[in-house]
Amino acid sequence: MRMRPGGAVRSDSATAALIALIVGFAAAGPAWAVFGEDLEKPKPEFSRQGDTVSAKLIPRGKSSGILIDFQVSGGRLMDVTGVDFDSVQDDSVDSKDFRSALFRFRVEGVSPGGEITIGLKSAYFTGATELWVFNRRQAPAWMNARAKSLERGERVQELVGKVQDGGPFDSDGAADGKVELTAGPKDTFWGYALGTLFIRFFGIFLVLGLLMAGMIAAGRIFQRLERRSRSPKIPAPVLEPEAEISAVGTAGVDPETAAVVAMALHLHLSALRASADMSLEPADASSWARQGRSQIMRDRLSAYDRVGRK
Amino acid sequence: MTWDYIWDLILSIVYSQTGVPNLQVKQVLMLAVALFFIYLAVGKKFEPLLLLPIGFGIFLVNFPLAPLMGYTEHGTPELIRAFYKYGVEWEIIPCVIFLGLGAMTDFGPLIANPKTLIIGAGAQLGVFITYIGVLFFGFTLKEAASVGIIGGADGPTTIYLTAKLAPHLLGANALAAYSYMAMVPLIQPPIMKLLTTKKQRLIKMRQLREVSAREKLFFPLIATALIILLVPAVAPLMGMFMFGNFMRESGVVKRLSDTAQNALMNIVTIFLGLSVGATMMAEEFLTVKPMLIFAFGLMDFTVCTAGGILTVHIMNRFLKEKINPLIGSAGVSAVPMSARVSHNMGVKEDPSNWLLMHAMGPNLAGVIGSAAAAGMFIAMFQ
Repeated sequence: MRMRPGGAVRSDSATAALIALIVGFAAAGPAWAVFGEDLEKPKPEFSRQGDTVSAKLIPRGKSSGILIDFQVSGGRLMDVTGVDFDSVQDDSVDSKDFRSALFRFRVEGVSPGGEITIGLKSAYFTGATELWVFNRRQAPAWMNARAKSLERGERVQELVGKVQDGGPFDSDGAADGKVELTAGPKDTFWGYALGTLFIRFFGIFLVLGLLMAGMIAAGRIFQRLERRSRSPKIPAPVLEPEAEISAVGTAGVDPETAAVVAMALHLHLSALRASADMSLEPADASSWARQGRSQIMRDRLSAYDRVGRK
Repeated sequence: MTWDYIWDLILSIVYSQTGVPNLQVKQVLMLAVALFFIYLAVGKKFEPLLLLPIGFGIFLVNFPLAPLMGYTEHGTPELIRAFYKYGVEWEIIPCVIFLGLGAMTDFGPLIANPKTLIIGAGAQLGVFITYIGVLFFGFTLKEAASVGIIGGADGPTTIYLTAKLAPHLLGANALAAYSYMAMVPLIQPPIMKLLTTKKQRLIKMRQLREVSAREKLFFPLIATALIILLVPAVAPLMGMFMFGNFMRESGVVKRLSDTAQNALMNIVTIFLGLSVGATMMAEEFLTVKPMLIFAFGLMDFTVCTAGGILTVHIMNRFLKEKINPLIGSAGVSAVPMSARVSHNMGVKEDPSNWLLMHAMGPNLAGVIGSAAAAGMFIAMFQ
């Protein structure tokens, strides 16, 4: 890179090549759809304790695992399995909205045509999390289950929804005492991404703003301390107003004597001021000065070292 | 033993034990990319301390059958894989680099004018705009965050965050960050001119107050406490940064401070550069994502520069003593290049207007700001 006399920066061949490379990369943008590997696909692992089935998984956009507990009343929860989103893909929904996976529930022991209540409990859910159901037999296939979101303490939220045997949410479509349900908790991906973005951007202003406030306060304290440590310890003499001094000067003292006294006073006071200003911090001194100082100190010490002199 | 047998044996050796017949077009392309970055480092002196080892790392790993980035049959990592695993994957090297950076940094200009911290925050605008932008292109949330941080113009922070959130993008992100940092004198001036008037560029700022040694000594303690209390996720980076600075300002551990600034910094830079370069193997690098990262990285730098300048304009509406908006561009943390760019632009308008020390304030604030942004992203994905 060289500067033109006019001051504008001129890019040379290497820079131009690099920029051309970047523009080429940018032009390749429309091909974005070709990378489709879903790196964040949640992979739930299930365990069972009594009537409760639990899924442990790492949801989209998280590094640590979460736990979701499933419970059913009005029937017996036989098992819960993970569902690959590709198998239920539909243009009406975005897989990214189902950040904590999609599940298939199998419930038996339901009174034919009866209703079960299904509950999904997790500290990961928020009040805005919805329960969505997929049923290929229905149009549209994706439906909001209108589940209630209930607070269970310790920031745990429970989604509670009702499913009728043979109803629109039941995948087998028959009132046969068995319910098969494909459902998952849904949050708006873009809502989360944009919401957290604003919070975090202003969070940076908050952090640096607080640091600024702390630094301004600390700066004032330090400046005051510095001023105090640099001010002369011996109080400066109170000088008479000039008119009074000249009046004194005319009161029988000859001009030469007055000049000598003034000079003596000036030397005395400036020496005091100079000694007050000599507050050189060790960190301000150069290594040369520090070495010289330590040499002087060593010499002084040897002069007082009675044991050494013997 | 027949001649046919010997010929078969030779062919078998050539195919299985030499690289020539295994060399693919992709690898040749990557070797060309490596040579290009080596040329930028050596011939053009663009960030040579990092682009040279990165370029050589790319060069090394793109030869077929080279035992450098894999694992042996016993599961032990091969040479550069070991550097990568223990240095980058374990997040050690970026933090050690921050230690060295802290030991090199004089926070005087920032302490003298703490208001410039706000400029450092404003200059993170591009980080978040890019984050949203790449999400539209199908990147995951974690990938988007790691691409966004490129605009913070802080190499170690970019590497640290990417290694944590999207290690498969490490090579592309690091290369984009360091390439654009080297190109700051080209990228920033047109934006600075576009967003300021001549009158604004001529603003003279009051000379910074003197900062005592005692104040500099206490700064890392105060800053560490405040930042880690507010964003604990940034403790590894900020902790090391401020520890390095505390060693420097204390004046009692000169040897340690010198080591952190020089020997240690140089050693880890070698391992970091080679490791990052070595992640750019043909089959992983020659895809669409790294190309998009380069394109978005440029946009990121542009928006961050604009963000810093616009923040100064907003601040000037409320301040009695106006700030020269040229120092806003230094809010991206490419230390000290972006401060130098601000200074040069100021001197061009008025040769008596020395902005360097004023621009160092937002420049250092940018380092803290980008680390804070990284901490916010880490916390978001925890």
